[in-house]
Amino acid sequence: MFGFAVAAMAPALIISRMISPRKKSNPVKFLPMECGQVPSGEGRTHFMMQYYAYILMFVVFDVMAIFLYAWGSTILELPKSATLPIIGFLGIMFAAMAFALYQSGRRNIW
Amino acid sequence: MSVIAPKFKFSEFVKSILDNLFWFLLIFALIGVPLVQIILFYVEMPVINGELLTPFLALTWLADPSRTLPILKAFMTTDLFRIAAFPGFGFAALLAAGTIFVERKMLAKLQLRVGPFYCGKIEGILQLMGDGLKLLSKEIIIPAKADKPIFWAAPVIFVGAAAAFVALIPVAPGWVVADVDVGLLAVFAVIGFFPIITILSAWSANSKFPFIGGIRALHQMVSFEIPLILSLLGVVILTGTLNLSEIAASQSAFPWIVFLPVGAIVFFITILAELERIPFDLPEAESEIVAGWLTEFSGMMYGLVQLGTYLKLYAFAALFVVLFLGGWNGPMIWPPFPEEIITKGIEAGPITVQIPGLPLFSQETLNGIVWFVIKTVGVIFFILLPRGVFPRIRIDMLLSLGWYKLIGMAFINIFIALGLLYAGVLGPGGML
Repeated sequence: MFGFAVAAMAPALIISRMISPRKKSNPVKFLPMECGQVPSGEGRTHFMMQYYAYILMFVVFDVMAIFLYAWGSTILELPKSATLPIIGFLGIMFAAMAFALYQSGRRNIW
Repeated sequence: MSVIAPKFKFSEFVKSILDNLFWFLLIFALIGVPLVQIILFYVEMPVINGELLTPFLALTWLADPSRTLPILKAFMTTDLFRIAAFPGFGFAALLAAGTIFVERKMLAKLQLRVGPFYCGKIEGILQLMGDGLKLLSKEIIIPAKADKPIFWAAPVIFVGAAAAFVALIPVAPGWVVADVDVGLLAVFAVIGFFPIITILSAWSANSKFPFIGGIRALHQMVSFEIPLILSLLGVVILTGTLNLSEIAASQSAFPWIVFLPVGAIVFFITILAELERIPFDLPEAESEIVAGWLTEFSGMMYGLVQLGTYLKLYAFAALFVVLFLGGWNGPMIWPPFPEEIITKGIEAGPITVQIPGLPLFSQETLNGIVWFVIKTVGVIFFILLPRGVFPRIRIDMLLSLGWYKLIGMAFINIFIALGLLYAGVLGPGGML
């Protein structure tokens, strides 16, 4: 399906390139959009987002959330006693997440 | 009064049309027909009416109506039909096109505007086609110092990823492009591609507005992916499978939204955030950062990104339907196929026409498609509705919503599902 979409949509770009007008260029035509000003500085700048902690948390908790699916999809075959360790795992995950959220809320250390 | 073409001559107009017709027919006869025949030699052909369909017979359906429907039926079982037409690209693109038109009209009505009006006489129904032609015929401008291969590839890959998402959605029993056993994990894998494509295209444009928009999109999609993953765990616990077809089939009695309303609400909010729709449209905030990560796209590249966005919208709405609203399940409302047409044929006055091969779809399939489309359109309506009502929220509010409230509610949802399972309400040997 991915391949079909690519094979079906790439011709759209090619046809567009064929039938669209290609006017003579002038110096400001290919400048990056900056609301009419001539851009200054680099396009790929260092940009301070201040929410870096959330990206770090994502790396850890995304993997942990996917681990839960290995348990969730087989829970009907597992004995009931096997749920207790998972409850412990959820507790650890929740506590760690709460601590990480508390730390990411302290803006002065970031 | 302005003249459209000042040196217009009718004879030259006719000549140009005849010229084009001549070249089209010549190229089709010399290249098109042999190419079709060569391709058909390498395709495994079905057996129609007791004889193998050879490439020489493949075009006989044009002349012989009694062979048309069997050939069409044989084509409908192929993978190409599934990918290109029914549960795949064509069906999704049709619903996406309808969504774009309804969105524009409905938002206009909500905000006391008129919306598209002139194109196509009836309430601007051809506006979308006009927009498509306009985008196709506009020049593609690539900013200076852009990373050209990535910049060209990003819209195409975006559409491809959205189509890969569509491929995993079961529309009716047995009608799904890719019926994989780990369907839900495959969905998460495909969703994980979108932030990467966004940040790549934003980085390659070498411009400041796309860059800021791309970083915002990355933050937003990343922080709403964990609530999205956790909110669906309740459904997986109760059904014990990751296959989307089996999940949809397991809801023949009750849709899961009855038992897991918390998960459904969390999933709906994360859908809004993953689709970058208002109130979470920070990556494309048009009043702050021009058009966000779409700023430098022009012409058909922008058109492809829009197509991908609406394919994604359809896929997410369909995923909500499959997981929480019961998929294709619903009471039988489709009338049965009239028996006389199969046994006797259609009688029109003195003539009786026998049409072998009917019906094309079974009654259950059509009923399932109808219910699936009704539910999906309803969910799409609720996804579109906030755009006419809500303002945009700040990024710190967005992140705190995603990380504090939605994840907490997703954990509550998991414990509700576990409680239902161990209290004996659902699951094997349960009350329901």
